[in-house]
Amino acid sequence: MNNGTILTGINLSKQYGDLEVVKKVTLSVNAGEFVCLVGKSGCGKTTLLSLLSGLERPTSGKVMLDGLDITSATEDELALFRRNNVGFIFQSFNLIPTLSAWENVALPLFPVKMTGEERKRRATELLNKMEMGQRMDHLPAALSGGEKQRVAIARALINHPKVLFADEPTGNLDSATGDAIMEILNRLHTEEGVAILMVTHEAELAKTADRLIRMHDGEVIS
Amino acid sequence: MNLHYLMNELYYQRRRTLAAIIGLSIGIALLIILNALSAAYRQAAHAPLKEIGADITVQRPGNVPEKLEGSVFPCSAVTIRDDQVKKIQGLPGVRGIGKAVLLWVFDPNRAWIVLGIEQQNSVGPATLSRAVTEGRFLEEGKEEALIELSFARQFNIKVGDTISVAKRSYPVVGVVDASRAAKIAVANVYVPLAEAQKLAADSPQVQSVSPFQPADVNLLFIKADQEKITSLASALPNIVDKKATIGTPDSFLKLLGSLFALSDKFTMAASLIAIVVAILIAFKTMAGNIAERAREIGVLKAVGWTNRNVVTQLLSESVIQCFLAGILGLAIVLVASVGLSFIKVNIPIPWEMSPTPHFLPGGGDQIFKTLRLPMHVPCSLAVFAVLLSVVIGGLTGALLGRNISKIKPSEVLRHE
Repeated sequence: MNNGTILTGINLSKQYGDLEVVKKVTLSVNAGEFVCLVGKSGCGKTTLLSLLSGLERPTSGKVMLDGLDITSATEDELALFRRNNVGFIFQSFNLIPTLSAWENVALPLFPVKMTGEERKRRATELLNKMEMGQRMDHLPAALSGGEKQRVAIARALINHPKVLFADEPTGNLDSATGDAIMEILNRLHTEEGVAILMVTHEAELAKTADRLIRMHDGEVIS
Repeated sequence: MNLHYLMNELYYQRRRTLAAIIGLSIGIALLIILNALSAAYRQAAHAPLKEIGADITVQRPGNVPEKLEGSVFPCSAVTIRDDQVKKIQGLPGVRGIGKAVLLWVFDPNRAWIVLGIEQQNSVGPATLSRAVTEGRFLEEGKEEALIELSFARQFNIKVGDTISVAKRSYPVVGVVDASRAAKIAVANVYVPLAEAQKLAADSPQVQSVSPFQPADVNLLFIKADQEKITSLASALPNIVDKKATIGTPDSFLKLLGSLFALSDKFTMAASLIAIVVAILIAFKTMAGNIAERAREIGVLKAVGWTNRNVVTQLLSESVIQCFLAGILGLAIVLVASVGLSFIKVNIPIPWEMSPTPHFLPGGGDQIFKTLRLPMHVPCSLAVFAVLLSVVIGGLTGALLGRNISKIKPSEVLRHE
């Protein structure tokens, strides 16, 4: 691992019963790098993303995130690690329907000891960056798809993550809105230096990334 | 635990919140109402004795006199000897004794029911002093009589008249309204106890059925420690007579025949069923609610909530819901109590406890003590019910939260 590497997966495999979804994958992401994981549906991209982000444990292999072996951590240690080091952006936004936009952004901070004002200040700041300041008190049901994804991105950034994991972030959006979201991700990468590992099956979207990793049938092919 | 998140969950998911709250509140309300009803019937059953200032009545049945002339004892109340009374006075738990002599007096032109009472004793028929409508109550050491209001009207007897009972004359000093007094040991004429004892002792009919000394009586009223009533009731026949009639709140409760009055076991079983059903409803509703939120919980864990954070949040939601259910249950109980307190309870007074010759007008009629159901929800029961709700909420939330917190976020988030 060189000094610039923030995330490394070594010989990662994941098996569900007899089915091996990820097969001895080794890859790394440098700090501030924008990497796209591309491949056809069902090739194991999302599973690999889950393994690298600590959402799922590999059947074999090791994940090092910011120099720490997360594969040997307990569930609660992993949760705390995710809270402090990584951010997630999902295809279907995964916002809490009963919380307003700013509360959704502040969701990772709820278990953290801090004042409500501080939580709201940090959430508002991020929503303003996402040009969502005027919608901060709206419930997710009152937001469009693009707005929901902006809220989800703000939520992913609330803890100043070292790596942002994005799983088909534009998959549920029309092309114009998808482009806008990609613009935001690119801005985050270039202006804030956040490392991004994005899963997509759209080759067009992957063009803006620093590096492409192609997957086929559970293996990295290039 | 984030209170705002909790309140939002309860508010925005109000249909399932209400389902859980209403389900449990009905169970809690049933639990309180069943116990309050049981207590109310118990209290009602105590009323006939309470209004005569006693907890237990004692009578000894005997034979029917051969001739109904002069002074006779009703067959339900024959002699209780003075030495037996003294023995009873010495029993542990006895706080006071009231004595009386009840006689049927068949004079050539009129039949009287005469009750000899202790004027100054707060235990027993002297509580009648509150029912004097005209004149005054009997005074110590005077040979005088009180007349029952309807009897006085029937035979046009007034205060100041002199009546002749078993060849003895008594000035009438007052009129009492028996309908406002105790329904036990009701008479037409009330005289000092000593006078009734003289009438009984002088009567050959009384002596032929049940030898009677001037200090003896035939009715006893006992004031007792509440926790000793049952043990005293079972000890008394050993002193008086194996066939003695012992009146207690429990014996009146049995006469009521209501399901609620039947037994503590019934109330306990019904309460238990109510609360188990309520718990099942609450559990099922909350389990459905939490299962629906598997994805949301997956998101919480993905963004860094620990198992403990998730369980605490779900537990708090569950406790708050169940606390609200407890409060709603109490509100239901208060409304139901007002409604139930309009129920009239008719407590039958056994003929033996207020004997009247059957051949006299109204002699065989059943006497009832009628009162409104004394519904009352004790604070301890209300607090217990709310605490029980909270405990149910805590256990349900902890159990369900613990199960759901075990889910892996990748499992629920992968199916986009």
